[in-house]
Amino acid sequence: MTDDGFTPVDLGRGLTLPNPVGLASGTAGYGFELDQLIDINRLGALYTKGTTVRARDGNPPPRVAETDGGMLNSIGLQNPGVDAVAAGYAPRWRGWAIPIIVNVAGGSIDDYVHCATVLEPVAEVAGIELNISCPNIAEGLDFGRDPLAAGRLVAAVRRVTERCVIVKLSPNVTDIAAVARAVEDAGADAVSAVNTYIGRKIHRASGRSVLPLGTGGLSGPAIQPLALAAVAAVCDAVHIPVIGVGGIVGAASARDFLIVGACAVQVGTATFVNPETALQVLDGLRG
Amino acid sequence: MTADLSRAALETGEVLVVERLGGGLLELVARLPHLAATAMPGTFVQLRCGERTTPLLRRPFSVAWTQDDTCGFVFEAVGAGTRLLSELQPGDRLDTLGPLGHGFTVVNGGPVVCVSGGLGCAPFPLLINALRRRGVEDILVLNGARTATRLYPAERFARPAVPVVAEATDDGTRGHHGRVTDLLGPALASHPTALYACGPNPMLGAVMRTLLESGADLPPTLEASLEAPMGCGFGTCLGCALPVRAEDGSSAWRLCCTDGPVMPMRDVDWEGLSALPGADVA
Repeated sequence: MTDDGFTPVDLGRGLTLPNPVGLASGTAGYGFELDQLIDINRLGALYTKGTTVRARDGNPPPRVAETDGGMLNSIGLQNPGVDAVAAGYAPRWRGWAIPIIVNVAGGSIDDYVHCATVLEPVAEVAGIELNISCPNIAEGLDFGRDPLAAGRLVAAVRRVTERCVIVKLSPNVTDIAAVARAVEDAGADAVSAVNTYIGRKIHRASGRSVLPLGTGGLSGPAIQPLALAAVAAVCDAVHIPVIGVGGIVGAASARDFLIVGACAVQVGTATFVNPETALQVLDGLRG
Repeated sequence: MTADLSRAALETGEVLVVERLGGGLLELVARLPHLAATAMPGTFVQLRCGERTTPLLRRPFSVAWTQDDTCGFVFEAVGAGTRLLSELQPGDRLDTLGPLGHGFTVVNGGPVVCVSGGLGCAPFPLLINALRRRGVEDILVLNGARTATRLYPAERFARPAVPVVAEATDDGTRGHHGRVTDLLGPALASHPTALYACGPNPMLGAVMRTLLESGADLPPTLEASLEAPMGCGFGTCLGCALPVRAEDGSSAWRLCCTDGPVMPMRDVDWEGLSALPGADVA
């Protein structure tokens, strides 16, 4: 038991989360904003913004659109690039109690391998979360949708890192369990599920899509039952730890994921509405 | 660079009144001691619209004015969120997060021109109050709206002494018959030290265009409060990108919530901004 009254969550390869409640990738940046608003070090993990080999400017706006019980985003992986994260951000994490798990995204196996290689010697990085839900495709492959491609990617990253490797699964697949099994077989230490659902919103006055690329990723409480079904399927399919994410707004919706077999959760979009949501989930799960 | 959020806090306030000003304009007044003590001109607050998950996201509002432990916000009920806010009753709770964002540079000497379009009036009472505390008295407000009933009342731009307010309406029901930008020419003749603008992004672009076409020297301080659909309001979702011109002339994105909402007008890529589809979150 930790001081907070939680049994630590062992994700493998030496990565133990002090408690099961983390901040989901893409909703917490690299922690520096939320660190000013909440007691971030009480939380179990920070999963950073998706980080790529080179800096990315992101997509043209509008990048967000509200929907009933949720929101669509099309940020386009705006990030400073892995070198800036390793050299500029990591030193600022020194002394933080919250484990930092860097979310890595790319368009090719080489991209992911490069990022993992750069992050490998960085002491402040506790683990890596592979974002294989990115719609960018390379050589006809979409890692999140193809179990074989996902497995090859994980195996390649596995060869260059001793860090705990978590694979964030896409829900936009026919059989998420097949992808989960493939990444487990390839050496993933844990999986997190799910990333956002592909969604679209129409601007009714013009008949055009609100988001410039047409579709975006749907998040928020509207997706919680969908995410829960996906996480339950993943928990049935694999033996490695499963981290549940999708539409959590409080302790009750978080506990649902633990009930179906997840060992930890991530709070995402609800942080935008109330930066203290993850802490409230933490307190609620304890009580 | 990480935004400075050191003054931002969650604060639950008490609604004192939602006043109907006419023409659909509303002024929400709430007891919010922290916000009242920390809001700077041009900063904003994220208001939660009810406790349900639809509408989900908070809505950003300029802090229009502060007095003792109360704050005022000017808005219009145009969407699901603002409709809920318009129905608040005295004594209701108001869930806020703020102050947020980068505000106006308060200059030390006039003359100063404030250009408001529609709800763009919102940040000016607090700004004018701050200017007066610095001894700036020569303040001209150019206030434009579609029609007379939608003009923010002149006497509310500052209390007790009202600054000079020149009005323009699209339909000619009060003041100059035409756009607020038509009033810029005479205003520039006074060689203002600062020009502040707030309103819909297309109106702000028209202000910049008019300034450039006038051939007059641009005021040294030239700032606009911009808007964009926002997810969080504190720099983590990266949803509220606006196009700017970097020093080398290349285009780049800046976040409305933490780099703005007030930005130097010289930095904004007005052409890029005008090409963007309309804002969606209301």
